[in-house]
Amino acid sequence: MAGAFGFKGCQKIRGAQIRGLLEAKDFFLFDCDGVIWHGENAITGAAKVVNALIRRGKNVVFVTNNSTRPRENYVSKFTRLGFTDVMLDQIFSSSYCSALYLRDVVKVRGQVFVIGCEGLRMELLEAGIPCVEETDDTDATIYNCALAPDVKAVLVGHDDKLTFLKLAKASCYLRDPECLFLATDNDPWHPLSGGRILPGSGSLTAALEVASGRKATVIGKPSRFMFECISSQFRGVDPGQCLMVGDRLETDMLFGSNCGLDTMLTLTGVSQIEEAQEYRKSDLTTNHSYVPDYVVDTIADFLPAFEEIEEQND
Amino acid sequence: MSRSKCTLLSGALVEQLLDSVDSVLFDCDGVIWRGDQAITGASEVINLLKEHGKKVFFVTNNSTKTRKMYADKMSSLGFNVTADEVFGTAYCCAVFLKTVCRLEGKVYLMGSNAMKQELEAVGVQQVGVGPDHVSGQPIDWANVPLDPEVKAVVVGFDEHFSYMKLNRAMQYLVQKDCLFVGTNRDTRLPLEGGKAVPGTGCLLQAVETAAQRQAQTVGKPNHFMFDCLAAQFGVERERCLMVGDRLDTDILLGSNCGLKTLLTLTGVSTVAEAEAHRDSGSAERQGMVPDYYVESIADLLPALQG
Repeated sequence: MAGAFGFKGCQKIRGAQIRGLLEAKDFFLFDCDGVIWHGENAITGAAKVVNALIRRGKNVVFVTNNSTRPRENYVSKFTRLGFTDVMLDQIFSSSYCSALYLRDVVKVRGQVFVIGCEGLRMELLEAGIPCVEETDDTDATIYNCALAPDVKAVLVGHDDKLTFLKLAKASCYLRDPECLFLATDNDPWHPLSGGRILPGSGSLTAALEVASGRKATVIGKPSRFMFECISSQFRGVDPGQCLMVGDRLETDMLFGSNCGLDTMLTLTGVSQIEEAQEYRKSDLTTNHSYVPDYVVDTIADFLPAFEEIEEQND
Repeated sequence: MSRSKCTLLSGALVEQLLDSVDSVLFDCDGVIWRGDQAITGASEVINLLKEHGKKVFFVTNNSTKTRKMYADKMSSLGFNVTADEVFGTAYCCAVFLKTVCRLEGKVYLMGSNAMKQELEAVGVQQVGVGPDHVSGQPIDWANVPLDPEVKAVVVGFDEHFSYMKLNRAMQYLVQKDCLFVGTNRDTRLPLEGGKAVPGTGCLLQAVETAAQRQAQTVGKPNHFMFDCLAAQFGVERERCLMVGDRLDTDILLGSNCGLKTLLTLTGVSTVAEAEAHRDSGSAERQGMVPDYYVESIADLLPALQG
């Protein structure tokens, strides 16, 4: 198979090739939006695929840059959408991993100033990380607002309640070089159903990078950190045993590449196969990291392979 | 006088330099005032230059005031200035949209009331100015109604910047024929007391990232503001002096337009930074090296009073 030869095949696979993959790999990492669901609608056949993998004893985890919900909320969504066997510890969101980073890697002492929504704050609080209280003082301006003492990190995620004042406060905290600058992810925009998009955390992070003159440490894909969280929780994961399945070349495929995983692009989400082919032809070798090893139209394409495996076993 | 040598301007050199120019262009923040406080001696300098027959202009990236508001502020601080001598980005952006872009249609404005006024003064209507927050669900935000008459998104300094405004700007910019103009890329607004206020550059970067498109910018160091000034007043580049406090905007504008350049140290940039550019060996960075520098523009006074 293409991946095994060390070059990016970008090949659409089906049938026997998928069956071979399912047999060869024992760790499946799925992105969520555009891969297993679109908003509140599961992609046809996705729940069957995920449930089947789990029942066959494969390790299945979900790796998402979406920082807006706490993991408990994700479990409810999984159940609601028919992914009945998914447990809390299979879910790796950028908000959960940001909390782990602050607690276990940085071992932060002091408060964190958060630009983000309730879901992000909840993950931090659950990990025992103190966040600066959100004030609702509509009269406060940067000239007269109080800055919290002892802020040791600024964390930027998706924040639909972003204001100029929050940006200004964050850039004040970041003047201290000892204060860390973290971002849940770099996605410039997020897709919604019907081809619509919304501004992503990446646009907010970019604003703060310009204001502070500093670069954020990104927790989410394509950074390796979420894979390190997964590996740590599962007490060591062999990248060679993994398949990363995603819909976005610049996050999911690059993430897989950065972690040494085989990658599969599913065409039910953001990226088109033509974009992958463009990257593949590119003279810039760094662009090759965006190219998936394998491509499927939808992860439902796994289903026939399961049936064949079952037939073989009979 | 040789170019780009970052020489201290003092003694006889001051009068020599002033005699070699007919027009002096001043940046405002950090040059003639800081916040609401005039730099000591600044008003005397400006007024004396005019008495000596020099033309005096003000070229500022700050988009929060109209030219009239600037003239009023200057008067209150003792500067003898008329509105048509002021070139701020609110005014220049409106001129740019009308004369260069030949905009027909409305603007979605992420900016100040001053920008709104300058746009209306050239006959351009805007939507969007003021506070604007999310309500409803994400799917509603992604489907915000777009005014079909909007043909351009314009970004300036906006204290009401919010996710919803960022969203609306992005939604308009998804339409490929929608123009995208920013006033300037300054990263910070100068303030007393050392507080850091994010500048227009931050807001512009947020919109550019979300929309995955680059804006055209009107402000320094882009030469448009000088072109605007030169079109209205007959000025000879070689006989113009640009006085500023920022190497990457004021001095670079001066270099780009072939003007003489003077750095004043009452604002953002330092001599050390200027010398670092000079000694860097990079041709690109030479544009940020001023011909001369002074501690404050008040240092021009002895030559003007003598």
